[in-house]
Amino acid sequence: MSLKSTPQTLPTDPAVRENLFNPEIRAAIDRHIAKYPPEWKQSAVMPALTLVQEWNGGWLTIELMNEVAAYLEMPPIAVYEVASFYGMYDLKPTGRHKVCVCNSISCLLNGSEALIEHVKKRYQVAPGETTADGKFTFKEVECLGACRHAPVVLIDKTYGENLTPEALDRWIEELD
Amino acid sequence: MLQALREYFQSLLLIELFRGLGVTGRYLFRTKFTVQYPEEKAPLSPRFRGLHALRRYPNGEERCIACKLCEATCPALAITIEAAPRADGSRRTTRYEIDLFKCIFCGFCEESCPVDSIVETSVYEYHFERRGENILTKEKLLALGDQYEAEIAAARAADAPYR
Amino acid sequence: MTQKVKIEIDGRTCEATPGEMIIAVADRAGIPIPRFCYHKKLSIAANCRMCLVEAEQGGRPFPKLVPACATPVMEGMRVQTRSALAREAQQSTLEFLLINHPLDCPICDQGGECELQDLTLRYGKDKSRYAEAKRVVKDENLGPLIATEMTRCIHCTRCVRFGAEIAGLRELGATGRGDHMRIGTYVEQTLGHELSGNIIDLCPVGALTAKPSRFRARPWELIQVDGIAPHDGLGSHLHLHVRGRQLVRVHPRAQEAINETWISDRDRFSYTGLSAPDRLGEPMIKREGGCWQALEWQGALQIAAERIREAGSELGALIAPNATLEEMYLLQRLVRGLGAQAIDSRLRQQDFRGDAADASLPWLGVSIAKVEEQEGILLIGSDIRQEQPLLAHRVRKAALAGGLVATVNPYRLDLTFPAIQFTASPSGMLRELAALAKALRKRGSGTLRTLISEVKPTAQQVEVAEQLKQAGKRYRGLILLGALATAHPDYSLLRALAHLIADATRAKVGFLPAAANSFGAYLAGALPHRLPGARPAETPGLSAEAMLNKPRKVYLLWGLEPGFDLADPAKAVQGLDRADFVIACTGYRSPALERVADLLLPIALFAETSGTLVNAQLDWQSFRGAIPPPVEARPGWKVLRVLGNLLELEGFDYRSSEEVLEELRKQCAHAKPNNDPRGDLKKLPPRLSNGDRLYRIGNVPIYALDALVRRAEPLQANAEFLQVSLNPDQAAEMGLGAGDQVEIDQGEGKLAKAPVRLDPRIPRGCARIPAGLSGSEQLGPQIGPVSLEKR
Repeated sequence: MSLKSTPQTLPTDPAVRENLFNPEIRAAIDRHIAKYPPEWKQSAVMPALTLVQEWNGGWLTIELMNEVAAYLEMPPIAVYEVASFYGMYDLKPTGRHKVCVCNSISCLLNGSEALIEHVKKRYQVAPGETTADGKFTFKEVECLGACRHAPVVLIDKTYGENLTPEALDRWIEELD
Repeated sequence: MLQALREYFQSLLLIELFRGLGVTGRYLFRTKFTVQYPEEKAPLSPRFRGLHALRRYPNGEERCIACKLCEATCPALAITIEAAPRADGSRRTTRYEIDLFKCIFCGFCEESCPVDSIVETSVYEYHFERRGENILTKEKLLALGDQYEAEIAAARAADAPYR
Repeated sequence: MTQKVKIEIDGRTCEATPGEMIIAVADRAGIPIPRFCYHKKLSIAANCRMCLVEAEQGGRPFPKLVPACATPVMEGMRVQTRSALAREAQQSTLEFLLINHPLDCPICDQGGECELQDLTLRYGKDKSRYAEAKRVVKDENLGPLIATEMTRCIHCTRCVRFGAEIAGLRELGATGRGDHMRIGTYVEQTLGHELSGNIIDLCPVGALTAKPSRFRARPWELIQVDGIAPHDGLGSHLHLHVRGRQLVRVHPRAQEAINETWISDRDRFSYTGLSAPDRLGEPMIKREGGCWQALEWQGALQIAAERIREAGSELGALIAPNATLEEMYLLQRLVRGLGAQAIDSRLRQQDFRGDAADASLPWLGVSIAKVEEQEGILLIGSDIRQEQPLLAHRVRKAALAGGLVATVNPYRLDLTFPAIQFTASPSGMLRELAALAKALRKRGSGTLRTLISEVKPTAQQVEVAEQLKQAGKRYRGLILLGALATAHPDYSLLRALAHLIADATRAKVGFLPAAANSFGAYLAGALPHRLPGARPAETPGLSAEAMLNKPRKVYLLWGLEPGFDLADPAKAVQGLDRADFVIACTGYRSPALERVADLLLPIALFAETSGTLVNAQLDWQSFRGAIPPPVEARPGWKVLRVLGNLLELEGFDYRSSEEVLEELRKQCAHAKPNNDPRGDLKKLPPRLSNGDRLYRIGNVPIYALDALVRRAEPLQANAEFLQVSLNPDQAAEMGLGAGDQVEIDQGEGKLAKAPVRLDPRIPRGCARIPAGLSGSEQLGPQIGPVSLEKR
């Protein structure tokens, strides 16, 4: 009966389920579903959201989250909870790239604060916002797990380590 | 025996009377401290507990939020409140009445009010001519508050350092 | 029984079951441990940290404080709830909680009964050190029942867990992270679940409060009176909160055997209908030209008595199945005292052919609490979530515990638990049941034999039959007949089939009462074929259907609205129209009632009168009046007592409703619950053919059950309105689309107009057109042929 020990499933009509997203994404999500016991389909919610987000150009709409919920046969609110909890899911339209500066302790001690300030000033963009030209969305994120090389910045899927404001500028220049 | 004789002469010569008249005569020429009410009025403390009033904020919004603490604390059960959401969704009274026949002017309502809405003004000159006038309705209380706001605010300010 | 362990809490030795949590043991021993997120009916979250206690095991203290709600007990554990360390933790937790909790207690409805307020007073520090800005959370509109003030939320997640675990429908969730975490629906929506009002009670602070009673009263002004819910067959126990002469709100009263700690929204908010604008305040009589005139009780009762006396045995009485036992008993005494035999309370039943074989005193078959222990439940013709919301929760528990739940219904139900649903048209329902019987190798007799011989069970039906048999072997099988079965034109056959299946599986047959006192009618004798004490009448009187077909001279209608509460409202109104005089004892005026009635007598309703209701497990539940009835309205038993006196009937000198009850109780000493059919059914041809006619399925939506609920404004705000639900394929064939206006025709000028709605849950050949909704009063039988025409 517990929220945690019993999965809550909301059966979806197979005909509806077979028409969600596109075949490639369905296959990719199915590969993740296969990793879990059959009644714990909803464990695949994070990879499913990542796949769908990428497919939609970097952000998630409520409709897409509802579709993920339908595909995994779970309550939509449970998907909203996951998507709003984790920093890597964006619920608003994003720029062409995502510049994620770590603001956790090791990076802060090693100068990520200066990086954040620099980005704010140089590109006139506040954390969580997109530059006027739509080039990138600037995000402050929690620990990226590379404290050894603090400060760390993640742009799209690439880690930049031991960055200075100048190095970050050069990297942003090279984008697109 | 001697005692009786002394008392006889004292009463015969009206000595008690003249002594009494002496007191009267002395006070006749002393400075007077009788207050000539209503021409003159005694000074009032800012904590004086007279007629009640409901105050408003400077923007005209009534202060009362219908928390009913005054109603609950009133030892004479003189306050009756009914509340409901107003059109804008805020909590307001639809009825706020104080029965002045029941009120003992203890000031607990004023003490309990979290928003300084119900106050006791320094007004003590009022009378009723008809049955029902003893009930202070919400309209009357708000009107009193509007009328005496300057005075009320001054009294609160004067008392503030001691609270 | 498992072995018990001994633990010590604050120096007191307590006995506990291994695996139990410390807090449960402390609660039993009466040792207070503060908590916010823990609730005995919900799973453990251990997220509020309010119940931290110091504990040691075998002389070794735990390295840090442990949450009492999530720490299982072990032999010899020693717990301290008030040690210096525990106190410090309690103070700090409260200080943290109050950082973001607004200090708006004066305008908070929870103020005075708030768990946070109480615990802060008892365990908190007297000063806050926090001087920074507080968090503000935008409110969500959760609909007409629940008011939100989410800034006050302390994230105990009780409401979220309630949705997932009890309601079975997760509507609320905790979105965001850290300081941005908030409880809500994320996408604004109205909470639609029929039990959602319970989150108001669960919320330990004032974040979720009742909207209808918002700002109306302070807890200290309220007088708490015990009450019984007047709607479904549970008779949930209530606390009625009264301020002055007004019922301000309704809360559940814990009763583990009936409603646990919950009540349905219908029971919680229906009280708002008591002050409806069309409430009848004084006796009214219809004068020439159909205008109504108020008159004194004395005059009104004299007119009533005169007319009733004139009618004599030509009197017909229809009484709503939610009337109290006392009213039912007195009314039947009055009717039978005059030599009349026509009294009935089965207003929504169409098929009375099986009365001779009716159960002598029907009931649920098992106790309410035992429903959750069943391993096989077959629901026949019951939209159980709408009919009996809290019983549906028990069925859900049975299903989640691994039990089989199978349903046979004329439309697919929205259930919150796994179930095998056989959906078929009304005539198909018979065939589905016949197939189950055939899978159990039953042949039946008479009509059933023909039915069974014609079907061939599917693999799924064989599987369900087998599982039911297995459950029946362990005495854990239950077959329930609901309101849609009762309204079925072939109810007698459905019932006979249910008994046949029960026979083969050794499952028990149970009946779901249509209203709060349906089974009370058997005890009180408010039925044509039952005398008080559920004794069979030697010569059965006229059933509801018969007395409307063969018009009586005078009708006495008790607490019902002819347009909404009868199986065939159009025919009923015609029947009543032909009577000389119709006396209606009612709480409300309604157009259909004003059309047929000649005299309206105002009676007290729920919470205004004392009385007794008999629930599904045949508990006699008495209650007292909590508030006075409006204006001149009087408790029903008093009206009947005076009528009895005016008619010079013997023994109508009751001084209290308790006296009436006592008299009835004596007659019921030998009444035993018994669901077995009395004798065999004669050969009954099915009324429904297999032909391809379109059938109306007139279910009664949850908020259309009785006059009180139909006037409860907050419940009506989002309630169903009259629509024609059709299977999309069927609609396409008929050339209808969603939103098209159609004319509903049930013959004999039974017409109504409504928009079409497409719903794949409706089987082909059926149109779901609910009863009890505004617009449906012109229609015919709840379940019966219908034709639709596009307008």
